[in-house]
Amino acid sequence: MTWVLVRKLLRDVRMAWFVVALLLFLFQLLWSRITSRVTTEILAGLQRAGISLEFLQNLVLRRDEMMGQMVQAIMGGDRIALDQPSDMMSIAYVHPLVLTILGIWALGRAANAIAGEIDRGTMELLLAQPIRRSQIVLAQLCVDVIIFPTLCIVMWIGTYLGTSWMGLQDLPARSIDPWRFLPALLCVFALLFSISGVTMAFSALGRSRARVWGVAISLFLSMFLINVLGQMWTEVEWLRPFTIYYHYRPQPIMQSPAWHSEGSIWFHLGVLISTGAGGYVLAWIGFCRRDLPAPL
Amino acid sequence: MLLRTQQLTKYYGAITALERLDLEVAPGEIVGILGPNGSGKSTAIRLLLGFLRPTSGHAAINGHDCWADSVNARRFVSYLPGELRLYENMTGVQLIEFLSRLRAYTPSSRLHDLQRLFDIDIRRPLAQMSSGMKRKVALMQVLLPETPLVILDEPTNTLDPNMRDHLLTQLGQAGKRGQAVLFSSHVLSEVEQVCDRVAILQQGRLVHSQNMRELREVRRVRVVLTEGVTGLTPPMNVAALTTQGLELHFQHTGPLPDLLRWLAELPVADLKIEPMGLVEIYQRFHQLGD
Repeated sequence: MTWVLVRKLLRDVRMAWFVVALLLFLFQLLWSRITSRVTTEILAGLQRAGISLEFLQNLVLRRDEMMGQMVQAIMGGDRIALDQPSDMMSIAYVHPLVLTILGIWALGRAANAIAGEIDRGTMELLLAQPIRRSQIVLAQLCVDVIIFPTLCIVMWIGTYLGTSWMGLQDLPARSIDPWRFLPALLCVFALLFSISGVTMAFSALGRSRARVWGVAISLFLSMFLINVLGQMWTEVEWLRPFTIYYHYRPQPIMQSPAWHSEGSIWFHLGVLISTGAGGYVLAWIGFCRRDLPAPL
Repeated sequence: MLLRTQQLTKYYGAITALERLDLEVAPGEIVGILGPNGSGKSTAIRLLLGFLRPTSGHAAINGHDCWADSVNARRFVSYLPGELRLYENMTGVQLIEFLSRLRAYTPSSRLHDLQRLFDIDIRRPLAQMSSGMKRKVALMQVLLPETPLVILDEPTNTLDPNMRDHLLTQLGQAGKRGQAVLFSSHVLSEVEQVCDRVAILQQGRLVHSQNMRELREVRRVRVVLTEGVTGLTPPMNVAALTTQGLELHFQHTGPLPDLLRWLAELPVADLKIEPMGLVEIYQRFHQLGD
């Protein structure tokens, strides 16, 4: 019976999934092009004009200056080398635009999942059938578990094809190995899952989709800003571990061949997955115990 | 009893939505819930479907508690919401199939019969249907599984008079098949037409339960006399006798010959005998137009 719900939910999200997958795919192609231009043409041109790579690296990524801090905060990671195609390409996984697309997708779907159904009045139709409320939450979880990996894979296919078409896989000494990006999708999945889980908890306790959207966007936007500002100002740095974006770290996985033996990577992944799972547990408990309000 | 509520109560903070409702519905019985907006009709229905947790008291369908064992209770129920909202991205047939699958039920040839009866093309997208057509689709998914209990919240909303008659006929047939029907309505005439029993709610309380067979046996009589009569001795089955000048008003139950024999002794100028309607009962508790 849960599978009947899952099939229906998959049918409902297919168009939005296609659009998001296409956006993520196209962004990877675009970033491959940018990476190619920066690492093989622009930097070489600047060096010919007498601007050294060290000067540029200091100018753009200097940690003791506001601009460097901002760029660093947005690019992510501490070990970005502008002339390394794999480092530049890794930015495509932490770019604010990618985070926004992933965030809006996960948040929107979760907000719509329960509060949206209540809001529209279709939850009554569903719950008039002999199904458990927990089955509705479980069906949403199944959809996340099916949909998120497919988005991640599409994103990686974009990376693979983009770097291949731009010749970045064949650069002498600096070639990109797209397979190194594959395990970083664990982080993408974990981020999507944590956003979805937390929003699902709001959704299960709310009755208006718009209100759930508002609360969730405020929360995740605040987290994003705290994470960025925490990298620029030491006074608020202590707040960063309380944000999910602090724990979203795909770049160390891409950069380190022995990433799986680094405990911190698993810790951050664990925090994201636990946050999502905690959200789902709250959603399950809350939704099973609450009164179902009449449609607005 | 198929449905039994005992002291069923629901408070929203300080607001009393339903208070100590005792209601029983037997298989094959058609019960109407009457009352103005805010009288607790929808709250009662939502409690039965497990949408709301009772503040106190308890409701059970076929022995299954409507909150604690709600899934099993709902196996015996099909429900038509008052505020009808459907999945607009589906066609009518997709909706019926989806809801049937959730019931682990395969729509039978009855689907085509109902489609013909309701005169609707269910292959059309719901988004392109009028509200009346959507209600027909929703009614089809309620009537198809032939569950022991059918609960309908104001089912004739937005239906045209023909469809309304079809629906009431269907409800009558459901009752004859042994299905119990519980429905709320504002329209007294349709309740009168099909119900075996009527429960009238007022501010969350059940204030009156009326057996319709008994009500149908009661006649309202108006007699105009040609001259005043003293010492009227009406037969035993005359009640609520009042006089206004030369007019007598009373209610009569039972066989007519006794009444006619008594009237034959009076100087009758005009006589009107009509069945007692639900209107009089309802008006005892609510002004029509409430």
